[in-house]
Amino acid sequence: MVSNRIDHKWGMVVDIDKCTGCQACVIACQAENNIPLNTKDTFLQKRVNEWIRIERYWEGEYPNVKARYIPVLCQHCDNAPCEPVCPMYATYHNDQGLNVQVYNRCVGTRYCINNCPYQVRFFNYWHPGWPERLENQLNPDVTVRSRGITEKCTFCVQRLRRAELKVERQSGNRLNDEALEKGNYAPACVHACPTSALTFGDQHDDGAKIRSYFDDVNAHNIHHEHERETRGYRLMEEVNTRPNVIYLKKVDQYPLGKGDGHV
Amino acid sequence: MKLGVNILPLALVGLVVTIIVAFLIYVLATAWFSNAPFGLSDAPPQPIPFPHTVHAGSIEQGGAGIQCEFCHRNVTKGASATVPAVENCLFCHKQINAENDTGETTANVAQIQRVVDKYHDNNPINWERVHRLPDHARFVHEAHIRFLTQGESRIVTLPMGDEKPQQLPLSIGEACSVCHGNVAEMTEVQPQEGQSLKMGTCLDCHRQTNASTDCTICHK
Repeated sequence: MVSNRIDHKWGMVVDIDKCTGCQACVIACQAENNIPLNTKDTFLQKRVNEWIRIERYWEGEYPNVKARYIPVLCQHCDNAPCEPVCPMYATYHNDQGLNVQVYNRCVGTRYCINNCPYQVRFFNYWHPGWPERLENQLNPDVTVRSRGITEKCTFCVQRLRRAELKVERQSGNRLNDEALEKGNYAPACVHACPTSALTFGDQHDDGAKIRSYFDDVNAHNIHHEHERETRGYRLMEEVNTRPNVIYLKKVDQYPLGKGDGHV
Repeated sequence: MKLGVNILPLALVGLVVTIIVAFLIYVLATAWFSNAPFGLSDAPPQPIPFPHTVHAGSIEQGGAGIQCEFCHRNVTKGASATVPAVENCLFCHKQINAENDTGETTANVAQIQRVVDKYHDNNPINWERVHRLPDHARFVHEAHIRFLTQGESRIVTLPMGDEKPQQLPLSIGEACSVCHGNVAEMTEVQPQEGQSLKMGTCLDCHRQTNASTDCTICHK
């Protein structure tokens, strides 16, 4: 029944080793979540609105350089720095471990944006607009945010809600990895990733693929990082925001060393 | 103290200001306590009058006694209850129309003929929407119908209407009336007859039935 909700705690694992920086997740997110189009102007003004973005870093010196990519999305921190600074209680943590932004309450103070160490919160500086034909592709399950409010990644909560109801109706089972995959209910970025670099799941589910990484990283905090058995780490772990997104280190077969030739 | 000459324009200005303020308060109060957006009007007129009394009303009262979900078929399956296609009207109105009119019926054959014509011309009927939720709210009919019509027998006090304890599960028709009022007895469906579709109503019921009150349950 609706009343006896199963407590999920959603989480994501991002394998940097698999990420090729193709930006499919960025496009998928844009389409799923009614994010306004980013034009050349918005890029130049550094007011780009990308709920998930690929950060690119160069390693080494020319000509021996390697490109490194990190997909950065809202980390849904358990100790979220954005939450206590909101004067309107517009951002809060819900019972499923999601950091929720309530658009109706937001008045656009941008305190949360300034306090977010990951820079994954975005302010609508303009009224969103799409070319006429594109308005038909807007997702009816997601609000079109108006000018003057903050928005951010929701872990595609509209998909999770739909999935919960459907699984509840059909079998009454827990929404697990299998159901997420079968119904394509994982967030749009996860679903779009061609190399399966992103994995989404429920941390409270013993059978979830992401579980071993979360267990490992939770068991060994930043001071015992060398004791970890997996490649897992969190972004900016030293600020103790306790994100619900875990990154897996890159495994480089041919690391760049001093004096190495072109690989 | 001199009175008389100067007080008249002042009094007039005061009167006008009072009237304007009173009018504004009246408009805002009416809007707040009614259902439809800025609820100063009743439900919009439909392109073809559809008396729910005739279709959904009980047979004893001269209605056809059709169940709600016979026409609003998606109500047990998805988020929206949906208004049926013209084709569904023809399930019955293939027989009940002007051609077969014997003159004994009280049915409004002229209006029925318009429905039949719409079907043969492949035209949809542009029904006017009566209940409309704001864009940022998500309401799934299926989940609510499931809560009210399925599960083991239990007694729940829903904070609706007279707040009497109700024996669940209800039949689908009764479940619909919990929020929409007794539509079967309405010639024109009026949103004011049912529950206020405001957030407070939703929250009252969610608290009472121990459903989640997380923002993302209803807001998207």
